[in-house]
Amino acid sequence: MTLTRSFTYVKPGSLDEALALLAEHGRAAAVLAGGTDLISWMRDDLVAPEVVVDIKGLPGLEAITLVDGTLRLGALATFSDVLRSPVVSAAFPVLAEMAGVVASVGIRNRATVAGNLCSAVPSNDAGPVLLAADALVQIAATDGERTIPLAEWFRGPRRTALRGGELVTRITVPLPDRHGGCYLKLGRYRGEDLAQASVAVLALPGDHYRIAFGAVAPATVRAAAIEESLEGRPLDEATLAAAADLVPEVISPISDLRASAGYRTHMCRVMLRRALRAAAERLADDGPPYGERLL
Amino acid sequence: MSGIVGRADRANAMEDLRHVGRSEVRIDGLDKVTGAAVFVDDMDFGPDLLHAAIVESPHPHARIVSIDTSEAAALPGVVRVVTGADFPFTFGLYMQDRQVFARDVVRFVGEQVAAVIARDPRTAREAARLVRVEYQERRAVFDPLEALATEAPRLHPGLGDYPHVPWFFPEPESNVAHRRRTIRGDLEAGFAAADVVLEDAYRVPRYAHCALEPHVVVARQDRAGRLTVWSASQSPYTQRHVFAQALEPLGLSHQDIRVITPYVGGGFGGKAGVSMEILGAVLATAVRGHPVKLRWSREQEFYNTYQRQGLVARLKVGARRDGTITALEHHLFWDAGAYVEYGANVVNAAGLSATGPYRIPAISLESVCVYTNLPPGGPYRGFGYSEFSFGIESHMTRLARAIGMDPVEFRRRNAIVEGDLLPYGALMNPSGLHEAIDRAAEAIAWGEEESPREPGHRVGKGFALFWKAPAMPPNASSASFLKFNEDGSINVTVSGMELGQGYLTVMAQVVAEVLAVPPDKVRVETPDTDRNPYEWQTVASHITWSCGNAVRAAALEAREKIFQVVHAAHGLEEGSLYLEDECVRCDTDPDFCLPLRDFVVAGIETPDGTYRGGPIVGSGMFMPEFSSTHADPATGQGGHPNVHYTVGAAGIILEVDPETGKMEVRRAALAVDAGKALNPALLEGQVTGGLLQGLATVLYEDMRFDEAGRLLNPNFTDYKIPTAHDIPDEVVPIIVEVPQPDGPFGARGVGEHTMIAAAPMVADAVEAAVGIRFNEMPITAERVALAVARREEPDTWAST
Repeated sequence: MTLTRSFTYVKPGSLDEALALLAEHGRAAAVLAGGTDLISWMRDDLVAPEVVVDIKGLPGLEAITLVDGTLRLGALATFSDVLRSPVVSAAFPVLAEMAGVVASVGIRNRATVAGNLCSAVPSNDAGPVLLAADALVQIAATDGERTIPLAEWFRGPRRTALRGGELVTRITVPLPDRHGGCYLKLGRYRGEDLAQASVAVLALPGDHYRIAFGAVAPATVRAAAIEESLEGRPLDEATLAAAADLVPEVISPISDLRASAGYRTHMCRVMLRRALRAAAERLADDGPPYGERLL
Repeated sequence: MSGIVGRADRANAMEDLRHVGRSEVRIDGLDKVTGAAVFVDDMDFGPDLLHAAIVESPHPHARIVSIDTSEAAALPGVVRVVTGADFPFTFGLYMQDRQVFARDVVRFVGEQVAAVIARDPRTAREAARLVRVEYQERRAVFDPLEALATEAPRLHPGLGDYPHVPWFFPEPESNVAHRRRTIRGDLEAGFAAADVVLEDAYRVPRYAHCALEPHVVVARQDRAGRLTVWSASQSPYTQRHVFAQALEPLGLSHQDIRVITPYVGGGFGGKAGVSMEILGAVLATAVRGHPVKLRWSREQEFYNTYQRQGLVARLKVGARRDGTITALEHHLFWDAGAYVEYGANVVNAAGLSATGPYRIPAISLESVCVYTNLPPGGPYRGFGYSEFSFGIESHMTRLARAIGMDPVEFRRRNAIVEGDLLPYGALMNPSGLHEAIDRAAEAIAWGEEESPREPGHRVGKGFALFWKAPAMPPNASSASFLKFNEDGSINVTVSGMELGQGYLTVMAQVVAEVLAVPPDKVRVETPDTDRNPYEWQTVASHITWSCGNAVRAAALEAREKIFQVVHAAHGLEEGSLYLEDECVRCDTDPDFCLPLRDFVVAGIETPDGTYRGGPIVGSGMFMPEFSSTHADPATGQGGHPNVHYTVGAAGIILEVDPETGKMEVRRAALAVDAGKALNPALLEGQVTGGLLQGLATVLYEDMRFDEAGRLLNPNFTDYKIPTAHDIPDEVVPIIVEVPQPDGPFGARGVGEHTMIAAAPMVADAVEAAVGIRFNEMPITAERVALAVARREEPDTWAST
């Protein structure tokens, strides 16, 4: 693979050093973590950074911890880290279910969850589960830190709320006490694929549901209308059908070479019903194991 | 070969085989798993190596008004910039319709217009962007039926002047590069005699080979003028020949050109003939003394090598209620792309065989090679047979159902047998087709209901026959050299290619069998046209048969010399000698045992101190001497264009989720008549790999072009090839062995055949599962789900 354009590569050893570099170069700098998106975008000339700041040397950013009911994912935590994390599998197993269907083992070993949110392609896998869980993005810059709810993070395809000079340091997820979750992803075959459509469902006690869709709108979308329609209702066929009927109001899929808008809509309805059922059953400790293929 | 008798010949009569017919471990296996095996891209050409990058057409059809290379040439690190003005040469395997560089006209998006040679790949790529080409766009045509219309733009006004093989029939003043007709029997009477006549159209899109190793070439013209080309190729000798033809204006001939081909990382037809390698060859002549390297990116691999051609087929078949097929009419319109120098022969092959393996008294085949403004079509595993078999086999099942007969029984009644007339009038070779049908049907429990694994799912079964003949010039040939070493080991040189199929191992097994040595004492060397003898190409699934015969002949010649030497030194009758466990032994003297290593180089010392014999070598050649393309152009009757057909049958059990359209292959069984399986494990690998590749073409692979002829998915993000997750739950390879009389130990080829049945049997199984018939490939989950949804909820889908 030939990268045509030259650039300066820097690998800072501390957060302060990294932030100083980002402050100095602003939008001319790109942050390199796993590089699974950045390097191919550079190869295809979709981006042409003058400076590449490799943050893999920053201490502490790979940690996955649970503190006072909040899951913390360091910016360097990879999908494989999530898959292997005992903390995740005990406290938030739907995140591991999601990580398990991202690309291939080799990519999962490199690609980071935070990087997936920063790339912000409409088909990103991390978005739906984290959006349904009301996750927060922790950001650092030389002039201080700030926190953005994920609901305000995505601004369109490959666009986020991150400003020049800023670095995502951590994703935090305030976990509900008890929940059942499910992430379903539509691919064209069993092998690795980008999501053609995806849905994440969290089922909470008392028939509360949180739902988000991926790859069927310019950005990951929360399905508030469907959540409201389900609020307080047990999941029977009529409720599921009514929820599925609301899908076209929530999503705005396109037709492209990966799938038609019609199939995406059809599958969002099918996947919503299946994910709701599985999440509710898991809440009741009676569902299919996390990671089992439901499509 | 004559005059040789002895025990080993009885072995060759397929009794008591020691090495052939066994699943010997592949001789290249260790080198490949350890990374020791060398491919072109691994080779080190030193500091003089230059790198090339290509300037490509952004238009599907345009006149080149001007090319300005000055800015590119001025970039530091650039050595030369060349265009078609520097190399105004044409080339082509069967028809010389390709230009090394487009000169006046570009005919597909991605076509090479100019090249930059630079000291490093990055500079070359950067400079290629600085070449300014002014185009005047022309109307383009992408659909073969549209290209046949009289008002369609004509792609090749020079068609009438292109040199071509005598069995092509181009139609100047049109976009028809070749039309093959094969007509036999009274079609009208045949259809009149039928109780049911079924007529329909089938569409097959383009596909890409997706070999893991992209095309790569390094070429150097040394100071003496000699041109050496290292390439990832299936065809070293054919490349040398095509280079010699194209570069004749530079004063180069065959003896001035050397092609070296180390291991190849997959071909599937895509590395047959000459595609991008011509660029390496000409660029080397522009920078004499320097090796020049050109390596395709994955994207270029998709859009500027060969692609499997698209097909629109119109098919009409009649049958009586008793299950007899009475007539078949098949019109095939091929989207052959911008240049058809190889692809036209795919069209030709289909036009000879697009009946499928059936006995049909009245047939009319018309196979039309149509120029379009898409990348050049060309050879791809199956060589046209997969494409036409989608329609034929789909049609056979539908016709059987239409007359109320079981589709397997219908096939049994009509399946071709030895001595039946082939479409072109010659006789069918020995075949185990009926055995294959029975065993494949049994393997999927044909006729028995299966319950789905998941509630809501539906299960369907599908069944298809297949056949294929090597598509070769009538004199396509193979040759082999063999020499003994001091330790009794053997070097064999051939010019077939190890593409992953295990060819080198099988050739070693053949030598081991004849000369009674273990296969691991036989080294089979990859080709170098200066050293290794002639081979046409490693294509057409002919290499086991053809080169196997040549290698066997070389081994037999060496054995004859061994016996002559032993006779000269020891006075034993040659006819009483035989080889066993690396020794010469004698029928009439049980105590005689002479190890090969004692004399195969040094000779045998006689009592007076003189020696008999010397280094034992052997050579062998093979060419079919019965094949001919001489035939009536109007009917295709009278010749013998195909040497033989390999046949088989396959069945599938498919579980479908009607809601999502997702399909799971629970079992795929394929029975193929290999004549003789020289290495059963390798053959089973072909069955598994071929089925997987075929299933991918029907379930998800698909080349997609936009309305401007640009390929939308030249990458593995959006062109999906199977992963380990996509292997069927169960693959059942079934080997049938009805010997091929002129094959080595009775063998015939099977490599391509294993993917042909996949698409139609999936179409059958989908119909059986959800009641919907698809006449267009691929049959994706999306298409299945939406078709089911439209049927179940017509109101919801009325507007879409």
